[in-house]
Amino acid sequence: MGEEVILEMKDIVKDFPGVRALDHVNFRVKKGTVLALCGENGAGKSTLVKVLSGVWPYPTYEGKIILDGEEEQFSNTREAEDAGIGIIHQELNLIPELTVAENIYLDRQPTNKFGTIAWEKMYADAKEVLQRLNMEIDPQTPLKTLTVGKQQMVEIAKALSHQTRIMVFDEPTSALTNTEVKELFRVIRELRASGVSIIYISHKMDEIKEIADEVTVLRDGASIGDVAAIADITLDQIISRMVGRKLEDMFPDRIEEMSRKKTLEVKNITVDDPKVSGKYLVKDVSFSAYTGEILGIAGLMGAGRTELVNAIFGVYGKKSIGELILNGEKITINSPKEAISRGIALVTEDRKELGLLLEQDLAFNISLPLLDDISKKGIVDQIEEHKIAEKYVEELNVKTPSLEVYINKLSGGNQQKVVIGKWLATKPKVLILDEPTRGIDVGAKVEVYRLMNKLVAQGVTVIMISSELPEILGMSDRILVMNEGLLAAELSKEEATGELIMEYATRHIKKGAEIN
Amino acid sequence: MKKLLKENSTILALIGLMIILSFLSPVFFTPRNLTNLARQVTVIGIMSVGMTMVILLGGIDLSVGSIVGLAAVTVTLLMQAGLSITLAIILTILLVGVGIGLWNGFWIAKYDIPPFIITLGMMTIARGLALTLTQGVSIPVTAPAFSFIGGGYINKVTSLIILGIALIVGIYSILKAVKRKKANNIEVSKINTFSKFIFLFLGIFLAFFVFIGYRGIPIPVIILVVFVALGVFILRKTKLGRRLYAIGGNENVAWLSGINIFKTKMFVFSFITTLAAIGGIILASRLNGASPNLGKMFELDTIASVVIGGTSLSGGFGTVTGSIIGAFIIGVINNGMSLMGINTFYQLIVKGLIIIFAVWVDIMNKKQRS
Repeated sequence: MGEEVILEMKDIVKDFPGVRALDHVNFRVKKGTVLALCGENGAGKSTLVKVLSGVWPYPTYEGKIILDGEEEQFSNTREAEDAGIGIIHQELNLIPELTVAENIYLDRQPTNKFGTIAWEKMYADAKEVLQRLNMEIDPQTPLKTLTVGKQQMVEIAKALSHQTRIMVFDEPTSALTNTEVKELFRVIRELRASGVSIIYISHKMDEIKEIADEVTVLRDGASIGDVAAIADITLDQIISRMVGRKLEDMFPDRIEEMSRKKTLEVKNITVDDPKVSGKYLVKDVSFSAYTGEILGIAGLMGAGRTELVNAIFGVYGKKSIGELILNGEKITINSPKEAISRGIALVTEDRKELGLLLEQDLAFNISLPLLDDISKKGIVDQIEEHKIAEKYVEELNVKTPSLEVYINKLSGGNQQKVVIGKWLATKPKVLILDEPTRGIDVGAKVEVYRLMNKLVAQGVTVIMISSELPEILGMSDRILVMNEGLLAAELSKEEATGELIMEYATRHIKKGAEIN
Repeated sequence: MKKLLKENSTILALIGLMIILSFLSPVFFTPRNLTNLARQVTVIGIMSVGMTMVILLGGIDLSVGSIVGLAAVTVTLLMQAGLSITLAIILTILLVGVGIGLWNGFWIAKYDIPPFIITLGMMTIARGLALTLTQGVSIPVTAPAFSFIGGGYINKVTSLIILGIALIVGIYSILKAVKRKKANNIEVSKINTFSKFIFLFLGIFLAFFVFIGYRGIPIPVIILVVFVALGVFILRKTKLGRRLYAIGGNENVAWLSGINIFKTKMFVFSFITTLAAIGGIILASRLNGASPNLGKMFELDTIASVVIGGTSLSGGFGTVTGSIIGAFIIGVINNGMSLMGINTFYQLIVKGLIIIFAVWVDIMNKKQRS
């Protein structure tokens, strides 16, 4: 481990209309070390990476990037790559149809003297880079046949082939199994030993403790405290820097105990994988949900949680199978429309792609699932619409200049409140929330948690999918853990711990065998 | 003020264009010329109401030009076969308009086949049918009363009454909207209300000058106004309109919000072909006969009108009034260049440039919105 500073980011400020995303961020990375960059969703980590990688070119931000003692002003991502900065994104930036070697040398293929691609050389080079990572991957295999973990290795190899000096890993483990995570850490350690500096972005504490040499924390776009050696700081200190308050304050208590009554019973839900015949996304999942409680659904990305709730909501029509019993009555739901009329609401995961019409105004968005209720003879009662929108804006404390404002002008947290408001306006009996606090700031998170508690008190059955363990543990009364499309465990609040959930979420299940 | 200028940029462009042409050609701003211009715009104008909805959905319909031809041929042949005018018209609308639309819509809504492909296919099918039915020759209209639809006028006294009623209804509805908003504590923009009054008075005055100054309001213009009003009403006031904007904005969001996408698409794709069939009937009536080649390239003029009117080709954003103004912009340019003796070949080039310009403006606006 050297003491030599290779990268320094000084007083970085980045503004978006109405929001300051980065507020005088400062940190430095030493040569051949791993710096963990921690922060909640929405703390500004991704924006910072975008500044560093030239996605936001100079001078759309303020401040200095000093690389090896010299100030750099990247005007595009290519310049940052050439300077030796490589980014491993959360979502891989690869083309599934091409081979491993083609992906590594995309747009930089070695050429013969006639300008045609020198395939042999490209395969040989690719093999060499992969070997530096100790990876036995044939450069000629199509990328799509590899597992996510292997694909990530290809992405790392791609960055390495650029003579990368600083490699940024943006939440690299979110889609990986335990074994793959171990493999990734092995590679990161080797990179570090060979002198590459690493910025490791994550909010998973155990990973940070294991892999990082130093830690810096971002909160609400600002650096909190100086860069600290990992040995000198406790996990609790990191967490309190991240959230700015103690964990118990984040998850408000529910005031009254509610009586529990079974509302929704789900039996043997199965969703086939539309891409691969014979495979499934969800297999034979059964559970019950009650009034007076929040049912949490935990699991890794791709475990089938979203598909499960989509199936309940009728998104797959007749393509998903299973039985639904709502308040003792057997029902069939073949479209979201039918689900809504039965009093089921789904706050979808990706609010920009699945939740909101970004180019329409707030009132339009809130009234969308209610059109039938606020229309007479096909004509929308716009005054009624306005009143409903106003009511939920007030109730959810949405910060907006007016009801006529385009949704994409609101901040992430306020957009999320609008999505929730849109579904509350349907007066649901069962409210399903898929990652309800993804990408919103801490303050907005707490408001969402309070709201969930209030709904439970009002007798709404709340089901929440979350990938954030503290959230699952802090909010749920019961926890379902999904793993590879199966229900791996059902845990009570008392028995659930982060370790136990991760254990169930990552363990390889023999198909159908090990269900509790 | 800036916002107001931007929101009304197409209508201001139209007004500017008309002022320039009035200086360039003494004939342009005469009741007779403008009456003819209005009559010429009607067919494209009627179709652009439906095309706005199709494009709002993120779709396109290339078959409407051929359907104009097929409808014109069908209605004349049916009359030749001895059917009454009313029956011939109803059958044509049902068979050619609604029928073809349901066919187009079914493939698009049920199997998610791109509208471009389905309607491209229908474009040649309908043209082929028109040629087959007529064996490639023109068919004369045998019922003299039929020509009233495309060529008739409402007499001046009735026209005057209609314009008077339009003015009163216009003022009343603007005031009523303001009152309703105020009663419910919704903010009312004064400058917006004021500009509405200006455009209303300007429009009625222009109509008075043009139509009363010549032979009264042409029947096809009345038909156009009815469909424009219907289109505006659907998009602004009804559930159907909301669904359209929602599907065009993001089909997944619309589906997850409980919107029936199949039904909405079926309606829109049949509505536009119905309008195209009506357009074909008007054209056959005006020309007193039908050639199987009628309506060629009309789909492009219709799409151009919608795009010039500010509707986004990627869907979700746009208005019927914009499209009508777009149709009039194209009409005014064609008319003006003809009056100035400019070869039609150049007219094509100018039209093309305007379309490119309009799309560029749309893309720029879109970037600004997000």
